[in-house]
Amino acid sequence: MNIANILLVSIDLPQLSSQLEEHGYNPLVVADIPSIIDIDVPFAVVLIHQNAIGEALAEDMERLYFVSKGAPIGVLISDHTHLSDGLTRALDQGTLERVYLHEVESGLATSRIDRMYLGAGLDTIARAYQQAEDDKELLSKEISLRNRLHEHERELNIMGSITSGLVVVDMTDKIFLMNEYARRLLRIAKNDVVGLAFREVLPDKVSRLAENALKRISGEWKHHEIKKITFDETVLEIAAYRMNDYEHRPVGLLMLINDITEQENTTVQLYRSEKLATLGTMLSGMAHELRNPLSIISARSQMALRKADWDKAWAAKTFESIDGQVNRCAGILNSLLEYTRYKATQQALHKLGDILDETLTHVEYQSIFDAITVEKDYQNGLVVFGDRSRFVQIFLNIILNAADAMAGKGVLKISARADKDSKVLVEIHDTGSGVDAAAKDRIFDPFFTTKDPGKGTGLGLAVAYKIIQDSGGEIWFTSEPGSTSFFVRLPSGKRKVYEGKTASG
Amino acid sequence: MKEKLLLVDDEADFLDVLSEFLGGEGYQCVTARDGKEALEVLAKTPIDLLLSDINMPGMKGFELIKEARRLYPALKCALITAYDVRDYLFMAKNYNIGNIITKTTPFNFEEVRLLVRNILTEDVFGLDRYVHGGVKSIQVRNTNEIEGVIQNIVGGMPDLRHKRKFRQALNEIIVNAVYYGAKRERGDRKDSWPQEVTLTPEEEIVVQWGADDEKAGVAVRDQKGVLTKEEVLYWLERNASKDEEGISIGLLDEHGKGLFISRETIDRFIVNIKRGNTTEIVMLNYKEGLYDGYRPLWIQEF
Repeated sequence: MNIANILLVSIDLPQLSSQLEEHGYNPLVVADIPSIIDIDVPFAVVLIHQNAIGEALAEDMERLYFVSKGAPIGVLISDHTHLSDGLTRALDQGTLERVYLHEVESGLATSRIDRMYLGAGLDTIARAYQQAEDDKELLSKEISLRNRLHEHERELNIMGSITSGLVVVDMTDKIFLMNEYARRLLRIAKNDVVGLAFREVLPDKVSRLAENALKRISGEWKHHEIKKITFDETVLEIAAYRMNDYEHRPVGLLMLINDITEQENTTVQLYRSEKLATLGTMLSGMAHELRNPLSIISARSQMALRKADWDKAWAAKTFESIDGQVNRCAGILNSLLEYTRYKATQQALHKLGDILDETLTHVEYQSIFDAITVEKDYQNGLVVFGDRSRFVQIFLNIILNAADAMAGKGVLKISARADKDSKVLVEIHDTGSGVDAAAKDRIFDPFFTTKDPGKGTGLGLAVAYKIIQDSGGEIWFTSEPGSTSFFVRLPSGKRKVYEGKTASG
Repeated sequence: MKEKLLLVDDEADFLDVLSEFLGGEGYQCVTARDGKEALEVLAKTPIDLLLSDINMPGMKGFELIKEARRLYPALKCALITAYDVRDYLFMAKNYNIGNIITKTTPFNFEEVRLLVRNILTEDVFGLDRYVHGGVKSIQVRNTNEIEGVIQNIVGGMPDLRHKRKFRQALNEIIVNAVYYGAKRERGDRKDSWPQEVTLTPEEEIVVQWGADDEKAGVAVRDQKGVLTKEEVLYWLERNASKDEEGISIGLLDEHGKGLFISRETIDRFIVNIKRGNTTEIVMLNYKEGLYDGYRPLWIQEF
């Protein structure tokens, strides 16, 4: 490996040049970056004075590769002091390439260097440089692969062919890459956005998302984060990935953007149809349940109308009965109104206990619950964040299934407690027949039902599953005859509040 | 001696008002809140009629009747429910139960009174039991008279609701009374039924009609008593049941649908049978808005 030729760009340091010569290097001095193109000998390391770097650096870097004719190059950009200090030290120790690596790692790198570092894959080259000592062949392969990739990318328009939006923001908050599809999805009119601050380019919602992700990217980071945002009429799913270099250091944020509007609409329809179906079941149940109190009221009133002599006790009994039955009817109607009141995606903080109690009021009056004992065990202070009616829908479906499994007789135990990782855990336990082996794998499948035709939609648990998944929760169950438990784990609403506060400052 | 009724329902309020009413009608009423309690009462007290709610915690009404009949074969039984009787036809067929009263709004005391009385007295025939006003009567002696009789009856009841359906049902019932009831033609061979049939005096069909403040009705009676409660339950259940695709099981049947359709379209479809002697079908239509709710099952055979 010939690193004898060292390119000095816009560096006028006679002392440095002579130092280099003393150590057996051949300094080549050029006035500015574009002039690099005129150098026709292979060179290994380029030293560029900071002042010489213009806006079009990235492009120049490509030119650098071209000029270096595939040879590994290192680039150091710094001011005079650092340059001379670092170089002097390196030259004294005979480890120029190490200096280069060391300086980048220790954060001498200004934002400009970060940018370069990401753009030109400087680190790749640095690593290649080290490897070259051991395996020159491999190195040249890697370099040629990289060059080929570059050429292919240009020829094949890979980025432009993907029907997903791809946006890369570097650590200096600049757009590093944005494909055509991303521009389309995000309605960005401007053509040339590379190098611009992402805040000036991306729509507010996406920008906030990137901002948030970038803040956390250097810290603890899962392999990716997925968020849904509604953008005009479209729903976009944005997956944010941390871009790493080969040393697993963060170098930028990669966002993959997909239009999931259609998928989302299907889900919304599924919610609606399930809600309607549940409503239908509830209505027919209601009609049934109203029949009892209404006939009692009617019977009492008719008796009163035809009775000639009312003694006080008889009148009291009759009207107390009528009053009681009227209230019973009102209760049945109210429970239905409660169910229909909440509009979709009304996000708010709810006490978990209230949600479970409300769910019970929707079903408890039904005659199937007459011989079911309901036991409640809620830990205090549990909250969840989201759409109340959807939470109710989750528990309603599980509880109705439990009641069915018990054939109207047994103990239904509902407990709620705090769980690890800021989650809350709800357990709904019944003493019913249990989930049979054949149903176990399919229980969360849409349209799977063990109920008689017309009695179940087969959507209940599928919808519950989807809602829970969307809320970042989990649902599972354990079952044997006489003892079945459904578990629902949901993110605690407290965490949401905390996040909200941090975000709003 | 006062007849003794055992009323069973988990709705205490309902039990209270029902026993108040039936007590006023001259019966002695005992109440129980569930099947177990009812069997305890039966063990201690002789009971003439057991009237039980269907949907109760623990033992359901059908199971209670089955057990009560096993212990006391002569016990008369009827059920009462707030729910749709159609959903119980399968059970009614299997448990051989002909009477299911429904909890209507307004509550139909008259119907409960009549049903209880009918079951206990077995004195059931004649439209005047069901319609309180003048009842007219006509004999059908030949099939060519049927159209005229129907015209006469329906034309004479200007307030009748759902006239077209009522006319259809009436035609179905009279035709069946003639061919199946009087002449014992086979229902599954309708194609081979003769075009015209003349009935002897022993075969004559009597059709009665009349109306009162609440309702209008007809009764069609033969003198043979061929039809059985079992058959009626069979056909009703068959046509009410649906297969897995939601299609009525009896859809493609050549016959047997008339009973079901008539029961579906007429407010009250009452079948009275004295075996080997008389079959009477009473059809009542109430005035608008009266007794909303489900239709009772009302088949009396003795």
